[in-house]
Amino acid sequence: MLDIRRISNSRWWHKKKNWLLFAIFLFLVFVRISKGAFYKDFYYFISKPFWPGQFQKEIVLESISKEYLIKLNLLKKDNLRLRRILSLQESSNDYNISAAVISRKIGSWWRQIILNKGSRDGVEIGNIVIGPGGLLGIVKNTSFFTSSVTLITSPESKLGVWVDRIQINGLLVGLGDDYPSLILYSKDADIKVGDFVSSSPASTLLPPNIPIGIVQSIDETFKSKKTAKISLLAKPHVIDWVQILKANI
Amino acid sequence: MNKFFTKKLSLISFIFIPIIFLWHPNWLGILGVQPYWPLFWLLPWSILNGSINGLIFGLFLGLILDSLTLDDSFTQIPGLIFCGFLFGRIKLHSDILVGHFRYGLICSFGSFLCGTLNCIQILFSNFSEGNALILISSIKSTLAQVFLTGFFAPFICSQLLRIFKFSRRKLQ
Repeated sequence: MLDIRRISNSRWWHKKKNWLLFAIFLFLVFVRISKGAFYKDFYYFISKPFWPGQFQKEIVLESISKEYLIKLNLLKKDNLRLRRILSLQESSNDYNISAAVISRKIGSWWRQIILNKGSRDGVEIGNIVIGPGGLLGIVKNTSFFTSSVTLITSPESKLGVWVDRIQINGLLVGLGDDYPSLILYSKDADIKVGDFVSSSPASTLLPPNIPIGIVQSIDETFKSKKTAKISLLAKPHVIDWVQILKANI
Repeated sequence: MNKFFTKKLSLISFIFIPIIFLWHPNWLGILGVQPYWPLFWLLPWSILNGSINGLIFGLFLGLILDSLTLDDSFTQIPGLIFCGFLFGRIKLHSDILVGHFRYGLICSFGSFLCGTLNCIQILFSNFSEGNALILISSIKSTLAQVFLTGFFAPFICSQLLRIFKFSRRKLQ
């Protein structure tokens, strides 16, 4: 009887190896329950040095911008074709003049810039000036070598604009500060902060669909009209190069 | 040639006013507003040449500067004529230091006068729209201009006065 009795040392739980296997088993159960979260997090740390770097990011961004440009050109062509079919106004893209800003008055009584292209280069009074972001102003005066542009922030500037979200025309009036005022002649117009404002298709001064700005704040309704302040997309105080559009309105 | 330049120094400096006016150096301004440059030239010129001369050159300056700006809603001529006439009645102060600060005060006053006249004209031309926001930006421009003109006047006017005096002495 005594012979068949096991020695206490030979029990399975006395072996370290078994405990180790048990621990591995428990770990694998944990891994299974957590759906590999541990592995994934571990992989996160060890793969970090090999992630796609700045260079990869630049390549991707460049590809994206190319893709957008191609899409934009296709949409422009579509837009032009549809406008021709519907006999709507169109802007001529064939003749844009690049010009540098050689004088800038944007802060005091005057809101104007002077460009280094004049009548010699084919600039005419009434041409549209755009910069990175959108509309800047309209050529008011030309000399042989220069042209003077009234900015849309000038109190003299009054332009027809289009609020795309609510599909309504309005009047953009400069106030002599950096935020021109948008006047909508309808007190029920559902204008909201963040609405995008572009040139109106009905305008006789501007070609349609030129980006202008975003609604920054809405003033109180005054009689039958609603007014809002517009934050311009093109910043005249930093732009050094502009495009003069030979508008065909 | 050198003698010619010395004689005509005051008139040569006159040519630079529209250039600085167009240059509009932003680093010298506050809130995008510049000092009122023509007054820096007009003050020493009027002090030395009298009211009538000041009035005439105020008109000339106004005509030139108006031609450089696109705004039809106001003109700088009345303000500059008035300043030219007023500055002509001022006599030189014997104390140089007091003189320096006097130029600052006089130019500030002149700038305030011109700014107020501009402001009134703008308000009249935009009266129909009843837009009070134009008034706010006009007041801001006037105050910033008054401060800057008063700040720079002691430096610039004193130097110009010295140059004009030197030019006249050579002429005699």
